[in-house]
Amino acid sequence: MKRTISVSSSLDEVLAFWANGRDVYALEGPVNGQYRFSKATTWQPGLHTLGDFRQLEPLKALFFPAREFIGRWSDQTAREPLPERIVFGVKNCDLSALAIFDHVFLHGLCPDPYYREARAKTILVSCDCAAQLDVCFCPAVGEQPFAKGGFDINIAETPGGYVIEDGSARGQQLLESAQQYLAPASEELLAGFDQQRARRYRELVELSQAHGLNPGTDFRAAIETTFESDFWKEIAADCVECGACNFICCTCHCFLLADGYDDDAKPARSKLWDACLYAGFAATAGGGNPRPLRAQRLRNRFDKKFSFFPQVLNRYACDGCGRCTEACIANIDIRDVLRRAVDESDALHAHSSDHREN
Amino acid sequence: MNPTLYMPIPATIERIEDETPDIKTFTIRPVEPIPFAAGQFVELAVPGIGEAPFTPSSSPKISDFMEITIMRTGRVTDWLHGMKAGDELGVRGPMGRAYPIENFHGREILIVGGGCGVGPLRSLLLALIDDLDAYARVIVRYGARSLDSIVFRDAQMHGWNQGGALDVMLTVDKASPGWDGHVGMLTDILTEEYLDCHASDGIAVMCGPPIMMKYGTDKLLERGYRPENIYLSMERNMSCGIGQCGHCRLGRYYVCKDGPVFSYDELQHNPRLWDD
Repeated sequence: MKRTISVSSSLDEVLAFWANGRDVYALEGPVNGQYRFSKATTWQPGLHTLGDFRQLEPLKALFFPAREFIGRWSDQTAREPLPERIVFGVKNCDLSALAIFDHVFLHGLCPDPYYREARAKTILVSCDCAAQLDVCFCPAVGEQPFAKGGFDINIAETPGGYVIEDGSARGQQLLESAQQYLAPASEELLAGFDQQRARRYRELVELSQAHGLNPGTDFRAAIETTFESDFWKEIAADCVECGACNFICCTCHCFLLADGYDDDAKPARSKLWDACLYAGFAATAGGGNPRPLRAQRLRNRFDKKFSFFPQVLNRYACDGCGRCTEACIANIDIRDVLRRAVDESDALHAHSSDHREN
Repeated sequence: MNPTLYMPIPATIERIEDETPDIKTFTIRPVEPIPFAAGQFVELAVPGIGEAPFTPSSSPKISDFMEITIMRTGRVTDWLHGMKAGDELGVRGPMGRAYPIENFHGREILIVGGGCGVGPLRSLLLALIDDLDAYARVIVRYGARSLDSIVFRDAQMHGWNQGGALDVMLTVDKASPGWDGHVGMLTDILTEEYLDCHASDGIAVMCGPPIMMKYGTDKLLERGYRPENIYLSMERNMSCGIGQCGHCRLGRYYVCKDGPVFSYDELQHNPRLWDD
């Protein structure tokens, strides 16, 4: 059942209640047009916000840190357990991306105990987007500016009040424990909520279409059809292989097991984010490299997101968050790449049917 | 919580044997046995330095130690070649898909190796030799740069041929004193002149440098081997070994978990199967 905040309570009160006893990750800002995560021990009214749109850094960093200590050589000492955590203000693009990480780190050959612990100990409080960034294009890749699942609790702010919904057994318990702050959502409130979601979705569709991307476009076919096309060289001409698109991406999961020495000069191992744009990413000993050219590496990023993941998980590994577009110092816009792939693919099909007719 | 999936178990180097000027066979004893099947690989780690994937060259019947035949060709292998008996290493594994040896029963098996690629093939060969009556015939065709660079030279030139148990033929790219065998490319000794085989229902297993595998596969197809009966050990940058880290992707596969052994029909539609 969907709820709202009772007339005698405030959103701050209920969020502070849920935050109690947990490490808190909440949004601050916006500063220079961007929200950032801040870590705290309580929900701080006035400073913390649920945010109108997604924050700068990807949510993945809370489950798959940029640098994660794995262990020391011949040392079986268990790592300190993670504290209980709650994350406020998660947007659907980031939330949906966790399906990629669950696939890789939970449902593969060997579950990653660190990832599993982080997932188990983290309550996710998502909220509907109330605005968007210029780079957003979630409807083009089958997403929308609100969560359909994967959250513990979802909060939507509407002109008629908040709509609060549980999405898991844990979320249900949290709602039940906070009964004193909540009241059933009225039909009128829910009607306004549905209308707001439909309107927000339309706005995002229009923004995507302004960049030539329509919901339902088969990007897998476009990327696979254009695999050998020269347009990848044109796209990659300005790429400086910095890997920013990989690191900032809400779905990129590749990592390096890095050996080195700890502060006591003992051999130790860490897990670091890695980037398929780097020349050495796929290189083998002895000088072999399946992707020696930059254009091949840039194409690989799209191949992985729009061909590999549809084959293994039946979804794109892109949620339209637009972070890669923001991060690219060469101004490579993922929407332009996808649109050009679709155009190029259409041209190739037209060309091959011309040939057939002749 | 013990993240053993990312941390190796300790192992000791028991013995190091020179095979060629740049290839050595390391006998490694892990603190606990590592049972593996021929074709599977392990990650061998030098403490504090790094880790790299290798396929054991010893018999899969033995699990308390393994032999790994390693060419000096990069950072980790440079370190390994500088180590000595008694030194500590780490091992993770076994990983990946082995040769489907159970499907080989009753059939003719052609083993094609190039250079250091004969390591994994030796492991397979030792498993086959253990039960030789189970197979119609076992043929070995191997190519090396020169006499000096033939790996497992004694076995290849004498041991495996003894009593005609196996049909072994070698070739070298460059002749040198002491070599009276064939001189030429490996694909030369896969022609009808040098290879009498039942290609249409035979099994072919190949491991070697990518360029050799590329032309070798073409030759085997030309001879009539069926794509589903040609098994290739693919080399990619396998790092985590469990399909997570992304380095070894090959089309819709991760070589570490879906390979490293693939039949050619699983791979043939990949646009970039071989390095340029």
